[in-house]
Amino acid sequence: MERLPRGRHGLSPEFVAQNQRERLIAGLTGVLYEVGYQKTTVSLIGKRAAVSKSDFYKHFRSKDDCFFAAYEAAIERIRTQVVTACAGHEEAEWPLRVRGGISALLTFLAGDPAVASLSLVEGLRAGRGVYDRYQAAIESFIPNLRQGAPRAPDGARVPVATDEAVVGGIASLLGRRVLAGEAERIEELLPDVLEFALTPYLGTAEARRIISAG
Amino acid sequence: MRAFLDTAAILQAMLPLPAGGAQLKPTRPALPKEFVASRKRRRIVDAMTELSAEKGYGATKIADVVRRAGVARKTLYDNFGGKEEIFLAAVDAAIEESLDRVEAACAAAGDGWSDRVAAGLQTFLAYLAENPAAAKICLVEAISATPTSSARYREATQRFVDLLTRNAPSGAGASDTTAESLVGGVAWILHQQVRQGGTDRALDLTPQLLDFILFPYQGVAEPGSGTGRRK
Repeated sequence: MERLPRGRHGLSPEFVAQNQRERLIAGLTGVLYEVGYQKTTVSLIGKRAAVSKSDFYKHFRSKDDCFFAAYEAAIERIRTQVVTACAGHEEAEWPLRVRGGISALLTFLAGDPAVASLSLVEGLRAGRGVYDRYQAAIESFIPNLRQGAPRAPDGARVPVATDEAVVGGIASLLGRRVLAGEAERIEELLPDVLEFALTPYLGTAEARRIISAG
Repeated sequence: MRAFLDTAAILQAMLPLPAGGAQLKPTRPALPKEFVASRKRRRIVDAMTELSAEKGYGATKIADVVRRAGVARKTLYDNFGGKEEIFLAAVDAAIEESLDRVEAACAAAGDGWSDRVAAGLQTFLAYLAENPAAAKICLVEAISATPTSSARYREATQRFVDLLTRNAPSGAGASDTTAESLVGGVAWILHQQVRQGGTDRALDLTPQLLDFILFPYQGVAEPGSGTGRRK
């Protein structure tokens, strides 16, 4: 994120403050990705964001406070991508909507490994306070999958735990890949993730038909 | 343990004195030192398991562990470097015990892959129901307690992935990531259950979770090598 021009620029104080806050969040996300949580310091974040230490503390009480804000921001950005993609297929059938959402998810994560790491890896290991947010974030995606989901191929009801297990399983797989430093290549997982998501509802054959119809 | 020692001491004291005025035997039972030491170690680990399941790893203090285990503070530090080391020992013990049981159950279930997977899952869920504190520290606390415990959690997850891969139909064409996603999904569900305080409720989910695991393999397995999806 570009820093604002120095000196008189005629920008409102609110705009400057908002811009600084966003830069700090982006700064923390980037620093965290490079050096990990323990080595991330307020001064590194400030340097990256081109915001002074004293200005940092106008926005956040602590590194953790900034971390939580960055975490929420990361989840919000991911949500926006997925929800927008699903909405784009609103009229389409359920499998195409799921494909749209998952495809958008993977593309976004691959394009921003730092956000991928913050949301899927750091959320799991930086202590309980963050973990609750991780859990809430994962759960927030369940309705996107559940809405309009069909019955199983043999007419049996797909068990209620299935939606949760699918979403949790996808988050787990993606987190493992991001942790292994493979965030940039995460889009290659699209066929696998789609098959995993669609199979419990459609059966393997139909899931594969939809995937190969690309 | 203490009660046992005391009883043993009393019994020994009641034994008739040896004839010929031989030296009195010590009234304390002569349990081997290693035995006592390993029992104490175990008590410390068990206390840590219970306490971090009850109030969370972060809120558990060494003083609580000392009190719950009924050992001297010095004994604790003779055995462990500190709080994290005890917690990791507790997590490791639960992981090893559950995996041993699951592996044995898979092996005993015979040649049918779906029978092996079913036996493994049932055994794991039964372990969690029987050991709610161990379930809580492995499936909830370990994930975020310390960086090392997170790593242990991931390693354990990988061992379950390997176990499922070994027992699932081989070369059947399920995608490479199927086992990873399935284990991650099941872990997620169990995590929710354990967190809500119902490891025994996890047992009720056995049929659903089993379907969830078997189904992706059934579509690609050799015909007749598995069971059909339950209606």
